[in-house]
Amino acid sequence: MKKRNNKLSLIFTPIVFCLVMCLAVAAAVLPKYDKLSTLAGMFISDTQIDYSSAYENIFVPTKNSGDTVNAKDVEFPGVNKQFGKLKIKGTKVDAKLFYGDGTVPLRNGVGIYGGSFIPGYGKTILVAGHNNTYFNGLKKVKKGDIVKINTSYGNYEYKVTNTAIRDHKDKKAYDLEADHENLILYTCYPFDSLGLTNQRFFVYAEKVKGPKIVGLYE
Amino acid sequence: MKKVIALLAVVLIAVLSCTSVFAAGLNSSEQSVLSNMRTPANMKGNSVYVPSSYINQAEARFNTIDMTSDQASKINGLINQGRSFLQSTGKDSIKKLTSSQLNTLMGYASQAAAVLDVKVPAGADTENLKIINSAGEVIIDDDGNVIKATGAQPEFNLVPFMVSVAATLLVLCAAGVIVRRKALQYEKA
Repeated sequence: MKKRNNKLSLIFTPIVFCLVMCLAVAAAVLPKYDKLSTLAGMFISDTQIDYSSAYENIFVPTKNSGDTVNAKDVEFPGVNKQFGKLKIKGTKVDAKLFYGDGTVPLRNGVGIYGGSFIPGYGKTILVAGHNNTYFNGLKKVKKGDIVKINTSYGNYEYKVTNTAIRDHKDKKAYDLEADHENLILYTCYPFDSLGLTNQRFFVYAEKVKGPKIVGLYE
Repeated sequence: MKKVIALLAVVLIAVLSCTSVFAAGLNSSEQSVLSNMRTPANMKGNSVYVPSSYINQAEARFNTIDMTSDQASKINGLINQGRSFLQSTGKDSIKKLTSSQLNTLMGYASQAAAVLDVKVPAGADTENLKIINSAGEVIIDDDGNVIKATGAQPEFNLVPFMVSVAATLLVLCAAGVIVRRKALQYEKA
């Protein structure tokens, strides 16, 4: 009888142990799911998506750093298309520039929000990038630094005027109705945090060089 | 609220489906539509505006098309109808509209889609506003958030993760059972 009980305990004890441990792990994981999933996702993934080839590149370097470029010579980029490069001297920021700020652009570089404008348009340019990859280098940016943007229709430079940490819902962090050309770069803050955060690190810059797109209004 | 704004925006920027050609600049037809989009609807004394982010997206797209005056006329007609409808609801804000009223608003979007051959695959049911042109190209993809989540976000599902944890525990338990049995055999010997 005692021998039989021993055998049963050898079978059931591991099963009960597994169930209890699974529940304990679930209870511990769920409240911090975002951060843990980010960490685990670096090692485990049930999907294999090749984002590297999921976009079109229309960027062809040009030497135009003049004062103007005609609108008819500008190919306005479509969503998820790479149309330029963005670089900040003195930092590690050196990324492909996309139109759109969805998954594909932010996996492969940095992206302009579709509700803002492209360089040279004379209005706000709002650029997003991930804090753990292409915009991690924003932490080294300081006032006076130059942000260089190269597109197929012109080369631009913007001087950093300010940086700020703001909440992601703070609508005062940007002005999409501005009537002068200004560049805003942002990424999640703190820079080395995992998962989603509520704060963003913003870099504000003003245009100092590059062709203005003329002939926009016929 | 984001969904409601997206629904309204569908009506107003469905115009982006016009045949895409390589032609930059804004002609008078496109400028008239943009101007009309900036005109607020009066909902019981409250001025309700289309968010500037949506108007900017329309402007960006207008730079890639050549809108005819006929198209602009139809589009402006739809915008006016949408605005008149909002004013006639008797509500003082969009978020107070009933589902029936929202459906009516969506009706304008469908009409615009039918006339202009645009597809709105997900905008009506989710907060993500996506518009695809007749060539299948995504021309608008907006989740309603201006500022995006830019933290590390790999693809990851909880289920396979938990299965992995359970499998690991089972293996450890099995190993424990084997070790225990060997120990008992050793004790008996």
